Amino acid sequence: MKEKALISILFFALVSCSDNFEIDVSFGETESINPGIDDAFVSTYKPMESQSILFKSANIYDGLGHEYRDYDLLLSNGKIEKIGKSIKAAGVLVIDATDKWITPGIIDIHSHMGVYSAPSVSTSSDGNEATAPVTAEVWAEHSLWTQDPQFALALKGGVTAFHVLPGSANLFGGRGATFKNISQNTIQAMKFPGAPHSLKMACGENPKRVYGNRRQSPSTRMGNMAGYRSAWIEAVEYTDGMNNNNLDRRPTRDLAMDTLMGVLNGEILIQNHCYRAEEMAMMIEMSREFNYKITTFHHAVEAYKIADLLADEGICAAMWADWWGFKHEAYDMVQANIAIIDQARNGTGCAIVHSDDEVGIQHLNQEAAKAMAAGNRAGYDISKAHAIRWITSNPAKAAGILDQTGTIEVGKNADVVLWTGDPFSVYSRAEKVLIDGALAFDMNNPKIQPITDFDLGIIQPQTNRVK
Amino acid sequence: MRKLSLTLFLFCVFNLAAETLLLKGGLVHSANGETARVQDILISDNTIIGIGNNLIIDGNTRVIEADGLPVTPGLISPMTNLGIVEINALDITRDDESDFLTAGFSIFNAFNPHSTLIPWNRSNGVTSAISTPSTSSFPIFGLGSYFVLDGSLEIKGAKDIAMFGRLGSSYGSRAETLSILESLLEIGRKYRGGTPVEDILEMTLADQLELQPQDIIALGRVVDDRLPFVIETNRAVDILQALSLKEKYGLNLVLASVEEAPMVINQLKKSNTPVIIDPMDNIPDSFDELGSSLELGKILDEAGIPIMFSTQRSHNYHLMRQGSGNAVAHGMSYESAIEGMTARVAEIFNLNNRGVLKIGNLADIVVWDGDPLEPASFPKIVIIEGKIQPLSSRSTKLTERYTNKEDKPSSYKH
Repeated sequence: MKEKALISILFFALVSCSDNFEIDVSFGETESINPGIDDAFVSTYKPMESQSILFKSANIYDGLGHEYRDYDLLLSNGKIEKIGKSIKAAGVLVIDATDKWITPGIIDIHSHMGVYSAPSVSTSSDGNEATAPVTAEVWAEHSLWTQDPQFALALKGGVTAFHVLPGSANLFGGRGATFKNISQNTIQAMKFPGAPHSLKMACGENPKRVYGNRRQSPSTRMGNMAGYRSAWIEAVEYTDGMNNNNLDRRPTRDLAMDTLMGVLNGEILIQNHCYRAEEMAMMIEMSREFNYKITTFHHAVEAYKIADLLADEGICAAMWADWWGFKHEAYDMVQANIAIIDQARNGTGCAIVHSDDEVGIQHLNQEAAKAMAAGNRAGYDISKAHAIRWITSNPAKAAGILDQTGTIEVGKNADVVLWTGDPFSVYSRAEKVLIDGALAFDMNNPKIQPITDFDLGIIQPQTNRVK
Repeated sequence: MRKLSLTLFLFCVFNLAAETLLLKGGLVHSANGETARVQDILISDNTIIGIGNNLIIDGNTRVIEADGLPVTPGLISPMTNLGIVEINALDITRDDESDFLTAGFSIFNAFNPHSTLIPWNRSNGVTSAISTPSTSSFPIFGLGSYFVLDGSLEIKGAKDIAMFGRLGSSYGSRAETLSILESLLEIGRKYRGGTPVEDILEMTLADQLELQPQDIIALGRVVDDRLPFVIETNRAVDILQALSLKEKYGLNLVLASVEEAPMVINQLKKSNTPVIIDPMDNIPDSFDELGSSLELGKILDEAGIPIMFSTQRSHNYHLMRQGSGNAVAHGMSYESAIEGMTARVAEIFNLNNRGVLKIGNLADIVVWDGDPLEPASFPKIVIIEGKIQPLSSRSTKLTERYTNKEDKPSSYKH
């Protein structure tokens, strides 16, 4: 700590007076401990123009566990206005939804769209700053390619918001951010307003392989743990320093430490790639050691082994329905993993179906269907109305945006999907996808099927992948 | 002693003959072009001996009620690593690559019937599969073999039934890849024409490509309409190049992936070349597949092209059900989807007496708890060669262990 502070002071003294001045002003203006979190790169998203829409006679899963049959849903001013029987409204667009289903917009808590764009070529490989095991200073959003054709494909699958994470090469991979699924020309215009940042951490094989192969630390799981803990020790000192009332005693701003401090202050959510049960338990213990909260374990192939612990800690697990075996730590897959997490401690667990995949993100409803069926085969009694939460409200909670989206409740953003049939059937398709009340995708209207700059002039009439 | 053996033998024969099984009242998708209807299937020993209604049975017949549930032939996955790869990221568990051989690389003797992937895929409805060497930078990477997934050490299947290769972007120019591929086929022709292996090995090209005698013999099996040759390719012009190689060398060509097939659908149709597709892969993942879309299955099906299915990921080959279900959701016919996972594979890879539910065929049968194209459906009964298979796997055992609420360490819950 002393050494670090000394270096900071020397840096201030030697490098530049103007920097010093700017930092002082910034602190003075915002009174913020962590100016980077609050005022840099904020969302400039504006909803598309929308008109009031009344869906008539729809079947609805609200994302809270309820099922409504033959109900009406009124959207206006970009919000959910009313759910009920026989709603009357003048001057609205009426859409007959008889025999169709409405769900909240699907949310993927684990996406690399835009940072591992299609085509997957080396020049678009922007998701892993695999140059050091701790790169908490990088932000995934700064890699985002706004013309990734994968966004529109996910939209066609009903995805209205997604959380983009850095990759898992590093112990601390950097910040993740949540986006509205509307391609825009700037990254900030796609950012989900008010959504907190996350910090990607990674357990297990990936960091130890990447750095072990370079004969540097970490090369073992114990090296992983030492790496996290060293960084947290530094972050605690940095945070203490930043809390110093004497501005001159504060350390020089450090992007990586800003991020870790944001976690310690509860402003940045931990999204932790971790497969094995004992490693997840260790990560929980470490969060106690340094007094921070883990929001979600990602991939979590062995989450079912510690389901009660996760429920007790209020930690979500984001899982695949059935992907396994591609590496050793993914060997103990069970199809009931998601259901077991969900049902832990009398159904208080937080289960999420995630994709981490450009194809999987288009079919999260089918992945949820598999997971639900597997759970029911294992003896649970899980309804579709309940299981829809795994791809709507639970990921919204994990991304810190549940107050805005993820359920069909009056006052929330009108992020909804109209399905041609039962959303858990392979034959059903997202017919209309609305984001903030605006039609973002319509399978029957080519004008409302977004085509990125990349796809423009590449898609041939006989292979329009977005229709 | 001799007498005892004979008695035992007779007992066994009698016992087998007596073991008939009636699968009663299932919604039978026979995969022979007919639409599904409720029928009974009578199985004796390993073979289907009756299919229809009101089949005559005797008192020794075991009757299993299928209660109108869908019944299909056991699924046959045409492009897998089953039995030759356990964990992808662990080279020590992989037997799918050779540093020494190319066309002559056979994975047959590496097959591990005890791989954990086998009970897993079997319990999900895959009763047999073709395992193939993995993609390499060389345009031909070796021979695939067919395996019955009953987990027996007495391995049932067929050795070296198809050649696998690829055409498309690589480290060098695709023109060079194409030229090497053509030269290899020329070598195959030379060998077929009677040129001794030793003489071919003397050729500059054979020397430069470090061909081994096994490679040359295998290449000889590919030319002039013999062994199915599966070429993975995507770009429209590459598909056309493959079709012209088919013409020139009389290949028994099967094309895999073919994401840009809709752009050359007429040429494909004319050549009547079967395809293996992953219907869910609509990602323009490289500059070879910019024309990818979820309508691939529909467009190929409407052109009458025989379709089979692969999966995006390893380990879960049964997910071709989900893939074909998505193809149906986007316009492919239901029957083509079912046949693509069964009859087409048997027909195109010459797997005799399988893939169709008909009298005389081996009894590889799955009874499903729902529509087999729905990802949430699961097999209720899996039968391989007349024998009912367990539906357990490591996954079900782990589930049992961790849903057991007894208060003791999990390692004692078994």
